[in-house]
Amino acid sequence: MEIRARENRMSGRIKSTCALMSLAGMLALPAGTVLADSKDGTFPTAEEVGGQVYIEPIGVGKKLPLDFDTYDMNGAKVDLAKEIQGKRSMVVFFISAVPVSVQELVKIENFARSNGKGINVVFVNADTVGAALQGGPKMAIPNTVKTMHVIKKEQKLQTNQMYVAPNDALSGSGVSNRLGFRGLPTSFVVDAQGVVEKVFVGPQNWKKGDI
Amino acid sequence: MSINRRQFMKGAFAAGMAGTATMLGSGNAFSAVHDPVGEAQADFFKKFKGNVVLLPSKYGGYVQAMDLSVPETLAWYSYGLHGIDMPIPHHIASMPSADPYKGFDFYQTMQPPAAPYVNENSPEWRNRGDFKMFKMRYDGSGKQNSITVVNDISATTGMALGVHVSIGVGENANKYVAFADGQKDMVLITTIDDNPKIVKAFRADYDPIARQLNISHVFPDATTGKFDYVGRKGMKTSHEAMLGEELMPADPTAVFVDAFTWHPTLPFGAILIRRLGCCAIIDTRTWEVVALLSTAKGSPDNFPLVKQSGFTWTFAVPSVLTPLHEAGFITSGDYFVACNNVLQNNIAVYRSTDENPNKWKKETFVEGFGTKYLPLHMGNVPDSRFVFFTMWARKPNNGYICKVDAKTWKVVAKWDTGPDPHTCDCTVDGKYMTTVYSGHQAGQSGLVVINVDNDKIEARLPCPGGMHDHVVVPESWEGLKYSRSTSV
Repeated sequence: MEIRARENRMSGRIKSTCALMSLAGMLALPAGTVLADSKDGTFPTAEEVGGQVYIEPIGVGKKLPLDFDTYDMNGAKVDLAKEIQGKRSMVVFFISAVPVSVQELVKIENFARSNGKGINVVFVNADTVGAALQGGPKMAIPNTVKTMHVIKKEQKLQTNQMYVAPNDALSGSGVSNRLGFRGLPTSFVVDAQGVVEKVFVGPQNWKKGDI
Repeated sequence: MSINRRQFMKGAFAAGMAGTATMLGSGNAFSAVHDPVGEAQADFFKKFKGNVVLLPSKYGGYVQAMDLSVPETLAWYSYGLHGIDMPIPHHIASMPSADPYKGFDFYQTMQPPAAPYVNENSPEWRNRGDFKMFKMRYDGSGKQNSITVVNDISATTGMALGVHVSIGVGENANKYVAFADGQKDMVLITTIDDNPKIVKAFRADYDPIARQLNISHVFPDATTGKFDYVGRKGMKTSHEAMLGEELMPADPTAVFVDAFTWHPTLPFGAILIRRLGCCAIIDTRTWEVVALLSTAKGSPDNFPLVKQSGFTWTFAVPSVLTPLHEAGFITSGDYFVACNNVLQNNIAVYRSTDENPNKWKKETFVEGFGTKYLPLHMGNVPDSRFVFFTMWARKPNNGYICKVDAKTWKVVAKWDTGPDPHTCDCTVDGKYMTTVYSGHQAGQSGLVVINVDNDKIEARLPCPGGMHDHVVVPESWEGLKYSRSTSV
């Protein structure tokens, strides 16, 4: 099964590089936080973030942009587009601060395994955790990676395809504004070329044929 | 008479133990309320006589009662004594007291420590702190002032909410207190007695696909008489949304309920819904949802009710042009004002005198705050001449306090009081506006006293605890109308 094979490859790579990458990644990576202090403290206008609070997600038939900063479970920067390149995939955005979105991950993983026809599933935490009193912005990625490992262990997730995508919700170029989501989880099913086939907002009662 | 420590020691040696005992019995320095006569600053601070200020320290974990006229701390209480690990005293409201030096009751909410300050999802932090509502009592009737817990209302009712608390006034005076929480999107109304009874509870959920808001009555379990929402139960998000996080991805149903504010003359209250830029108006005679105000500039005055099914009211919310933060009534009740922020930084001004809230209309907006300064909290004065607002800003800006003329609805004065400004609350005589700034829970923090008429900053006092809220103990139920009731 594709998911399992993928996990095995990731697992082997992680084991061989973990010590080196985690140290380098955790010490050196820049970090975004949702309320990062901007240069002059400006908040966006409505026009800069989609016109209103609730915006529509990237629609069916559109290419899903994945060129935002992404980090893997070692805190190393990765190219998410490359990670899913050539594979029909389900890109699931969640946030560790929202219990319902964390609980959905295991549901999705189990459903994809039994009904996903080999779909490649990746989980993307669309935020970094708070660190203002715990080392400041430089600790946002290391602390988020730590939380991701906790989620993986506690939710008994099999996948190693879990990523962190720092999201500045107050910037038009922030992940959530570019992809158009306000509620998480939001899951995009994309074809091998990265074009959106389906979008699911919120937790689902997954049924055969959904993905 | 007052004595200093040196005089005391000198007297003690000279007079012996008997003499010492005599001095202890007569010296004002040892009374429960200090008389500063003869001290260098006494003449300056005596104008604040009658004002006791409650200051909860968010990351300090305690609350203190301060006599502004000395100034000194009369008593303080650490919520760690109640067994809470890393308590975060959040918002506060005080019952009226004709003599606050003798005693008064107050309410304190509490929430867990969270983002952006700590990684609340880490095993080291995620079980620290708690959601709580306490009824507290200050007792200044004896030689040793004290603050004690009267009732753990979260345990009594089974519902633990951690944001604003406000006490009923006008037709709801001496009856009710309201608690709200934006992580659970709930509001609880209880009676004000020492063993409070559940009166009504509400829950708000958004359906982002249908673009509808559902506001429902929530009922306690019939067998226990309690809810099942203690601790983190019912939590949609693991931290309260910071300003701007209304745009952040969250639970799809999350709307960030913030407070319940009470109309001073009509039987209504407002549930403030940050993420939707809406305020649900509740008829406090029936607790039915009678209107949903949409406060953004460019949106209709209210959104329509789609249906009522049992105890759920469904409103269409087709678009949200901006979030809001706080909203409330001015002291007279003539206007309901709402602090729109993040996408629109303005203050909507509704005429709120009609007995049908669906007829409340936006008459004007207070504007000119740009894209750096967010209308946040409001503070009333007794005669409704002015409304004070906190304009919050993120680093590197401090934010500021502004005074708005309630006839012209123009800003007439501004003060940069310090970084991370929070609530405003008027002194009992209406002459001064007090306000706190918290330095983002780690830096500069203090209490500032502004002269309402001449705009002079009269005093600045240290508050070494990141004060996120404060309240001046009102002297009467009428006085509560310009305290933590009509506005927050």
